[in-house]
Amino acid sequence: MRRLVPILTVLLVIVVIWYVAAARMNAAWSYDQAARAGGAVPTVAQIVALSMNQERPVLPTPHQVAQELYKSTFGLKVTSKKSLIYHGWITLSATLLGFAMGTGLGMILAVGIVHNRAMDASVMPWAIASQTIPILAIAPMIIVVMNALGIQGLIPKAIISAFLSFFPVLVGMVKGLRAPERGDLDLMATYFASSSQILWKLRLPASMPYLFTSLKVGIAASLVGAIVGELPTGAVAGLGARLLSGSYYGQTVQIWAALFAAALMAAGLVAAIGWIEVRTLRRMGMVR
Amino acid sequence: MIWILFAVGFWAAAWSVNLALARMNLRGAARLIIPAIFGMTLLVIWEGFVRGLNVSPVILPPPSAIALRFGAEMPTLWADFSQTFLKGALRGYAIGCAAAFVTAIAIDRSPFLKAGLLPIGNFISALPIVGIAPILVMWFGFDWQSKSAVVVVMVFFPVLVNTIAGLSATVPMQRDLMATYGASYAQTLVKLRLPAAMPFIFNGLKIATTLALIGAIVAEFFGSPTVGMGFRITAEVGRLGLDMVWAEIAVAALAGSGFYAVIALIEKRVTFWHPSQRNEPT
Amino acid sequence: MKKLLTAALFGVFATSAHAADDVTLQLKWVTQAQFAGYYVAAAKGFYEAEGLNVTILPGGPDVAPTQVLAGGGADVVVDWMPSALAAREKGLALVNIAQPFKSSGMMLTCLKESGVATPADFKGKTLGVWFGGNEYPFLNWMNKLGLKTDGTDVTVLKQGFNVDPLLQKQAACVSTMTYNEYWQVIDAGVKPEDLVTFKYTDEGVATLEDGLYVMEDKLADPAFEDKMVRFVRASMKGWKYAEANVDESAQIVIDNDATGAQTIEHQTRMMGEIAKLTAGSNGALDEADYKSTVAALMSGGSDPVITKEPTGAWTHAITDKALQ
Repeated sequence: MRRLVPILTVLLVIVVIWYVAAARMNAAWSYDQAARAGGAVPTVAQIVALSMNQERPVLPTPHQVAQELYKSTFGLKVTSKKSLIYHGWITLSATLLGFAMGTGLGMILAVGIVHNRAMDASVMPWAIASQTIPILAIAPMIIVVMNALGIQGLIPKAIISAFLSFFPVLVGMVKGLRAPERGDLDLMATYFASSSQILWKLRLPASMPYLFTSLKVGIAASLVGAIVGELPTGAVAGLGARLLSGSYYGQTVQIWAALFAAALMAAGLVAAIGWIEVRTLRRMGMVR
Repeated sequence: MIWILFAVGFWAAAWSVNLALARMNLRGAARLIIPAIFGMTLLVIWEGFVRGLNVSPVILPPPSAIALRFGAEMPTLWADFSQTFLKGALRGYAIGCAAAFVTAIAIDRSPFLKAGLLPIGNFISALPIVGIAPILVMWFGFDWQSKSAVVVVMVFFPVLVNTIAGLSATVPMQRDLMATYGASYAQTLVKLRLPAAMPFIFNGLKIATTLALIGAIVAEFFGSPTVGMGFRITAEVGRLGLDMVWAEIAVAALAGSGFYAVIALIEKRVTFWHPSQRNEPT
Repeated sequence: MKKLLTAALFGVFATSAHAADDVTLQLKWVTQAQFAGYYVAAAKGFYEAEGLNVTILPGGPDVAPTQVLAGGGADVVVDWMPSALAAREKGLALVNIAQPFKSSGMMLTCLKESGVATPADFKGKTLGVWFGGNEYPFLNWMNKLGLKTDGTDVTVLKQGFNVDPLLQKQAACVSTMTYNEYWQVIDAGVKPEDLVTFKYTDEGVATLEDGLYVMEDKLADPAFEDKMVRFVRASMKGWKYAEANVDESAQIVIDNDATGAQTIEHQTRMMGEIAKLTAGSNGALDEADYKSTVAALMSGGSDPVITKEPTGAWTHAITDKALQ
């Protein structure tokens, strides 16, 4: 209970700010509508009331988003194309596959960089450069090229999401694998440990806190990648397609609902990794 | 076929040169040779395969064509760069990182705020920010302001999460030591916890550099004036000017790497004490 | 054993010869009634009757149909003629094999309160345009009006894929299609009398829209040509069916929309508007329309969309056979 009070307080403040912002931002439209309709200038109370339930608001109110979210998750059959669970699953599968690929690639590269001087010098700058490539620009190209090779659907999206998620893992792991102090390394040397033994018994365990911090960033990046990958695939299905079609038809309520669904999914994924992190670190005696 | 063989041969040769160079323990600027050779190799392989397999230039142009276009379109590229990077990304980055840092310290001070804001901050940090780009473009208009806004939101949470993680990076024994010195909260913060947090903070700042550029470019996809890197990319894809698209991508990669390098250099100065920064064989 | 294998192999070849031929169609935009003819032809079995197995790939804001075609991701694409001709001039040999759309649906829609009443009022205003190959008709029109689009005469804004810039008053005018965006403005609560609309057709700058394009070199293959003949025949059958059965076609489109974002009301209305544009085309390209499109594109002052008269950019070879 004591933990909930502050969270609820902050949430309440946010919701209040949100309603005020919605009223202010949507008011202009209500005024215009009233002006176009002619007749008397409406009172402030009327404007506020009108701003709460517009069909295409600038900023939908929390209850509109909640209604849409509820309607499109529980109000429909899971197999329905309007169900957010259906779209969420499509995005989630690409996210998880991409995350697995990205994490694997990031860890392999990190181990390579720590052990091989040539890789250290040559790979890192280009890994950084690769992340500055605007993914949304090459996403359609990846999909076109894959399409030409006859690969469609899940894999191109997963590749885009792996492309975004390998980087945080790589950066975190390189840092983590180099985290052991000189003294620790010297100790291993006095034990006559081989470099693979140093890796398994010292470097990897020492890198765990860094790894988990990066994994949390990585899974969120992975979700972003899956969503970005869904934008140019022709808005076929998935949360990204929902965002796009919502934006295309100016259905702000639908955009916000898809956004919240994505956020809930991301929060769930991050929480899952956080849970594993706490478990792992506790067993390793790194946190109490 | 001959092109592909040449590319593969070049790759093998370059790799062995790099291995040898790495063993020589180069110092200073000479170290840059290795990544440069590696990059050259990638370009040669690209050129070789595009020519060898007769890939259509509207799918993937060879690097030579991109370089030619790059040279020919310098003024346009510069205008796009200043619109997207200097106006949109940099301002957003500065505002976002500063706001995140201040917020982290503020949260740290108040246990109530920490308990209330942290879970919500974590929730929002997981939000796929790309999704709010169309919304922010709608709110802040079409010029660079909306791009900066997207960047602020994008960089805020990685920096916030990393800073908070960093602020709790000290072990109890170190804090106990500060307590025995009779250090105040501010003293402990400035002399122990902030320095200890620096590796984490810079981790966040470095991730944010690439996010900033991507955010600014992506936001342009949802509406922009007729200048900017994101605008040029969408417009040129439709015109099949793929060489121009890749020239813009090259600008983005150069700008992003330069930005990252600057932050990494500052990190080296600030966190010289951290094991990962020590200049000794690992 | 060897005999058996050969027999089995022959068996495989024999059946594949009888199996439906695969055709991949890349649309210009997302699944909507703009492409009803193709969805109807698929749903009603017109393609199947011609021995075709057609895959329809929806497009989107980042999909350039010409690029997909060049990459081999599709056999045939739906595209607008200005972008196809511009691609041809770039060296990508696209050929128009059929033109189901007779008329142009492109418009510039302005809020009356922004003070735009005639094209002469554009000066100093902000106008929203789509890019990615769709900007050519607009640039061409501005050239004709003698307005510079670099910000000195009109400020051009790359509009996203909705009409928000107009509703939020960030632009005086935005590009709309008769069958889609215009109705989004109306749906948002703006009354038709509060809007001023300039149709490209009325301004004499209309260019041919949705046509079917293939790669020239592939067309030389008789087997491919035959496939396209059957494809065009079935597609036109689909279009004529869609024109006559608006409600049913709209429902077919809805059934094919995987995002679940389309509403039946919007699609039914769109189908009605689309029917007006496809009416009068039997699928064969009207040479006069082609000539006027080319003339419009080449007339564009200092910066024409195409610089020289294209040759071989269209053919009646397919439609002649398909429509006998």
